[in-house]
Amino acid sequence: MTDLLANLALGFSVAAAPMNLAFCLLGALVGTLVGVLPGIGTVATVAMLLPITFGLPPVGALIMLAGIYYGAQYGGSTTSILVNIPGEATSVVTCLDGHQMARQGRAGAALSIAAIGSFFAGCVSTVLVAALGAPLTSLALLFGPAEYFSLMLLGLIFAVVLAKGSVLKSIAMVLAGLLLSMVGSDLETGAGRMTFDVAELSDGIGFTNVAMGLFGFAEIIRNLEMSQESRDIVQAKISGLMPTRKDLIDSSGAISRGTILGSILGILPGGGAVVASFAAYTFEKRISKNPESFGNGAIAGVAAPEAANNAAAQTSFIPLLTLGIPPNAVMALMVGAMTIHGIVPGPQVMVKQPELFWGMIASMWLGNLMLVIINLPLVGVWVSLLRVPYRLLFPSIIVFCCIGIYSINNSPTDVLIAAIFGLVGYWLVKHDFEPAPLVLAFVLGPLMEENLRRAMLIARGDATVFLTRPISAGLILVAAILLIIAMLPMISKRREEVFVE
Amino acid sequence: MAGGTKSSTGGGFLLKIRGPRDFFGGLALIVVAAIALWASSSLPGQQGFAFGPGTAPRIFAGLLMAVGVVITVMGLVVKGPPLESFALRGPAYVLVGILVFAATVRGIHVDVASIPIVIPAFGMVPATFLAFMISIFGSTEFRWVESLIAAVAMTAFCVGLFVYLLQLPFQLWPMF
Repeated sequence: MTDLLANLALGFSVAAAPMNLAFCLLGALVGTLVGVLPGIGTVATVAMLLPITFGLPPVGALIMLAGIYYGAQYGGSTTSILVNIPGEATSVVTCLDGHQMARQGRAGAALSIAAIGSFFAGCVSTVLVAALGAPLTSLALLFGPAEYFSLMLLGLIFAVVLAKGSVLKSIAMVLAGLLLSMVGSDLETGAGRMTFDVAELSDGIGFTNVAMGLFGFAEIIRNLEMSQESRDIVQAKISGLMPTRKDLIDSSGAISRGTILGSILGILPGGGAVVASFAAYTFEKRISKNPESFGNGAIAGVAAPEAANNAAAQTSFIPLLTLGIPPNAVMALMVGAMTIHGIVPGPQVMVKQPELFWGMIASMWLGNLMLVIINLPLVGVWVSLLRVPYRLLFPSIIVFCCIGIYSINNSPTDVLIAAIFGLVGYWLVKHDFEPAPLVLAFVLGPLMEENLRRAMLIARGDATVFLTRPISAGLILVAAILLIIAMLPMISKRREEVFVE
Repeated sequence: MAGGTKSSTGGGFLLKIRGPRDFFGGLALIVVAAIALWASSSLPGQQGFAFGPGTAPRIFAGLLMAVGVVITVMGLVVKGPPLESFALRGPAYVLVGILVFAATVRGIHVDVASIPIVIPAFGMVPATFLAFMISIFGSTEFRWVESLIAAVAMTAFCVGLFVYLLQLPFQLWPMF
């Protein structure tokens, strides 16, 4: 306990340094700014803004990225409350009741409850991250290559199971991501693999290019197809930002339940914020005394998913910081950022760079506080941003992405590769393939292969090693059970229902 | 929707394609897997207990091939939604815009079939402006005046952010 306090004190001393505070604020601001734009999800936002953090010192860059992440998520909820277009998957459910509240003239209450719910969830889960960090890190020391491989396999299976649509197609995406990650020089022998003798591919395909193409360019191309007239922005002036006593009492239970649910689901690899918000909404609706109010502006229907997705966003840092394994696509981007700064995510971060580890955790709490402070007064600004027509917005995003990609290596080829992945992403969506598992697999690929090779070498070529070591066997068993459950058609039908709702 | 496939390419098959999204998606996966297998075929494989550089790519390409075949077969048998139509205008202009940015920002010198193609380095300002003005045609609601103003504003914003604020070493103006 005293350790925890001492660590948190160290963290706050790092996070409260004026420069880091500024990065945190800046991150939360630009994150919200981009996240508010309709049709741009959290992953796209983080991918887009990744390059602007590269020039910063490592601690500052990661603090800013974390701020961008929460900001993007919060911005997404603002959009779904005010416009009937969810900015991203996590705020689809917020849309249901939030937009109804806004149409009834209670946009202010919806926005503030979303902010308060997120802040409360952020506080709880920050403590959780700090408390679980140390024990999980010591657990990581028990892990050998076989266990790491099995854990990553479990993570990928989670991503497959939780992705919407066909399980088989998600598996195909995972395999394609793994294959893509192998393009470039072999880690052990340096042999060029699948490079087709293209010099630019010998270092492998850059992660940001893939993410920017699949999530940035592809989404823009797809959004262009949709009619922009169906946007339904709440025109009335937003007043009454302070929630009433009744609002607070009505939503307090929902916020706490959402926080608990979100915290648990966030830790699970492959899960994260999307599932958490869906689960919290469904749960609230089920236990509610008057479930028919859901969908017609129930405040609990805003509070619960908002608390849950923020809690999950926070706790999804746990597997990344302690085990070095990104549980979702955003965390995969964080790995990319860490790698660029020369930090290898994993248990050694906490030991070797405690100021980075605890500084980031402390900045999570500060970031949440800032979101409440900046978002409520700035709602007017975000609303006016929503009125910018998409026909002017999308070329701006395109050129911003182009410059961002180009700036990483001063390489026009990277821009070209991202453009190709943009087309690939467009094609994938048209054929009901989800890009998220591909990106996760792409990031985990090199780590997975390395551990697979090491485990096989240590076991002298005996593949049963994954089943004879108890921790590894347990992880594989969980993965197998998950996969079997997901494959059962009955359940996969129900799964779709959850996502359709 | 009786066999609701409006795919024209299905004519050569004896079986009716009932789920065209799965069918063509699966075919594409098979092609990708085949390319990966071919590209990694020359790499050394297993040596003793150690994986060679080619082992893992071949394992995963093989698995992808298998999954691709299953998805393709499912596409033949299981009824699914029809193919969505692909828009041309949006992707085309956006793509050209991005390519123009990539080609002009630093210039390119390549030989295509021994014909040298040289595009001079225009620098970031013209490249950004051009990319904006080209990709904006991807939308059907194009208007000249506001587009030009927005393009200038966005170019100025990007220069301010990336060059002055983030201090990235970009060449801003043409250098021939």
